[in-house]
Amino acid sequence: MSVSQNKNSAGKSEFMRSLMSRFESFKRTFYFLTRSPLAVTGLIITIFYILLAIFGDFFVRGNPWTMVQVLEYNGQYIYNTPLPPSSTFPFGTTYGGYDIFNGIIKGARVDEGVAAIIVITGALTGVILGSIAGYFGGIIDDIVMRVTDVFLSIPGLVLLIAFMAILGRKLEILVFGFIVIWWPGYTRIIRGQVLSLRELKYVEASKAAGASAFRIITKHLIPNAIYPVFVQVSLDFGNVILSLATLDYLGFGFAGQNLAEWGNIIGLATHGASGVLSIENYPWTVTIPGLVILIFVLSLNFLGDGLRDVLDPKMRR
Amino acid sequence: MIPVLLGVVAITFALSHVNINLLISEYEGRIHTAQARQAVINALHLNGNFLEQYLYYVVAVFTGNWGYTAPSDIDPGSPVVLEFMRRFPPTAELAIVATLIMVALSLPLGILSAVKKDRLVDQATRLLAMFFYSIPVFWFGLLVILIIGPGSKIVPPWLQDSGTGQLNFQKYAIVLKNGVYTLAPWAVQGGLSRPTGFLVIDTALYGDWPAFLDALKHLMYPSIVVGVTSFGVFVRYLRSSMLETLGQDFIRTAKSKGVPEKYVIKKHARRNSLGPTTTIMGLTIAGLLAGVVVTENIFGWPGMGTWLYDAAVSDDLVSIIATTFVFTIIIVIANLIVDILYAYLDPRVRLE
Repeated sequence: MSVSQNKNSAGKSEFMRSLMSRFESFKRTFYFLTRSPLAVTGLIITIFYILLAIFGDFFVRGNPWTMVQVLEYNGQYIYNTPLPPSSTFPFGTTYGGYDIFNGIIKGARVDEGVAAIIVITGALTGVILGSIAGYFGGIIDDIVMRVTDVFLSIPGLVLLIAFMAILGRKLEILVFGFIVIWWPGYTRIIRGQVLSLRELKYVEASKAAGASAFRIITKHLIPNAIYPVFVQVSLDFGNVILSLATLDYLGFGFAGQNLAEWGNIIGLATHGASGVLSIENYPWTVTIPGLVILIFVLSLNFLGDGLRDVLDPKMRR
Repeated sequence: MIPVLLGVVAITFALSHVNINLLISEYEGRIHTAQARQAVINALHLNGNFLEQYLYYVVAVFTGNWGYTAPSDIDPGSPVVLEFMRRFPPTAELAIVATLIMVALSLPLGILSAVKKDRLVDQATRLLAMFFYSIPVFWFGLLVILIIGPGSKIVPPWLQDSGTGQLNFQKYAIVLKNGVYTLAPWAVQGGLSRPTGFLVIDTALYGDWPAFLDALKHLMYPSIVVGVTSFGVFVRYLRSSMLETLGQDFIRTAKSKGVPEKYVIKKHARRNSLGPTTTIMGLTIAGLLAGVVVTENIFGWPGMGTWLYDAAVSDDLVSIIATTFVFTIIIVIANLIVDILYAYLDPRVRLE
């Protein structure tokens, strides 16, 4: 990104100026993003989902982590007979008498919160390790890259299932397992960027002026190498949610059966029932939570794709 | 490749020894006495220091001594290698067909969308790829089951899954014969053994056509689910690689000297863009295998994924580790094949 020269800000402090230039470049990025209808759609839906995660809990009752169970409705015992969508239950109920709408609203916070923790921690780890490996090169680079090779050749879902089964089905284990899987990708991206950046003149000049390695990495390399990571974060956010839902669907999630999590709601419908016939009779127990996941991940991908086109000048049309 | 293998062994070692009580209690079976515990500790060399344990573990892994599956009420437990021989062919069958579907879908679509950049075909392809890239695999599998289930009004009856009269995939068994583990006779036609373990190939080899069609039907839906959900990434890479090639000078030269458009795309652009795309195959296959694990669970396919799931449900530590290891080895080997394929597709790599 080019840094805009703003003459009016000459008198302000260096920090303010750098902030202004960042804001300018952000405004330009945002403008290009709004040129693409798909990216705008993605952005709007993503913002809606994030608002849902933040404020959704105020509109539904019960514990924010667990689904609300309704055992009796109109004098009828509904534990084993899911009710279709109605005014009382907008998305219907699923096996065990759980209210799907309630679970989906709460699931927004659970899913997005856990995914955000995972992606941000994974990206931070990757950025730190990748920039160190790329800048110093030599044996450090070799070691880091061999380790990423190892982790990239283990299928993530398999390792996660192994983690959860062996170390226990807890939230901290889940987050740890996800980070173990997700850091190598970021490390590779950042390392590739840093490798090409460190040969540039301004890094050389900074080195000649006596700047420490820490200063060069944090001040010159990371700010310029970070944009592909933003793209990857927006794409990976969706991937993490998919993996999280898959894990919970299979029953290797981090809490009990009644956890309000999108994949777990689908799992309830299929594992609570005894096979194919039951889904056929109550299709909404599967289709609605799945659509919720699909729409969110799809919009995240729209957004990430738009961001990639905007942030990569070669691709900008 | 060797450092990766050693690293993977280190990870599986850490995973199996981090919860040492689980490991010991699995080997003990139903006999939870102090003597049994001591016997297990002695057999697995668990009383040595860290390095000693690791050394014994590595030796055991590379000599094929992978331990035993956990005993249960119906299954007395068997050597992991044996279970692997029984579980691997179905997974390989599913993964190979799924990869073929993935490549068959993504090759024409990726090239078409690059050639017709920004036109309707391109937009539609990108949207489709993104759609299938974002769809949860397990949900897609369930939808397919909803569509093909018995009594469905969407597909004709001959495509439906009746739910009855299914092929029994486990009809065969691996038995110890003259000190060698071999595949026992397959019960469908008496006295026949299974040469490959691949259901479609075996039934075709024996000329059992009703069984062959049934096997094909059983294989079709899961492999479509896996193939379709994993082709999005591949299309994306192929498209960008193709676009990069199309923007290069030699393409313009070829066009300006009057080479037909079709020939330019086929001979000049496609070959040059396939090389870089194959390098992404390794990563794509990792994603595909994750899809296989989930899809096997949904369709009841008796392969490695179902084995992993069953093992994880019943805390069968040795089987969990074994499946993790095997899946990783598959990816390592796939990467090796990809490297060889890359050298075949790009003569410049061969020169170096």
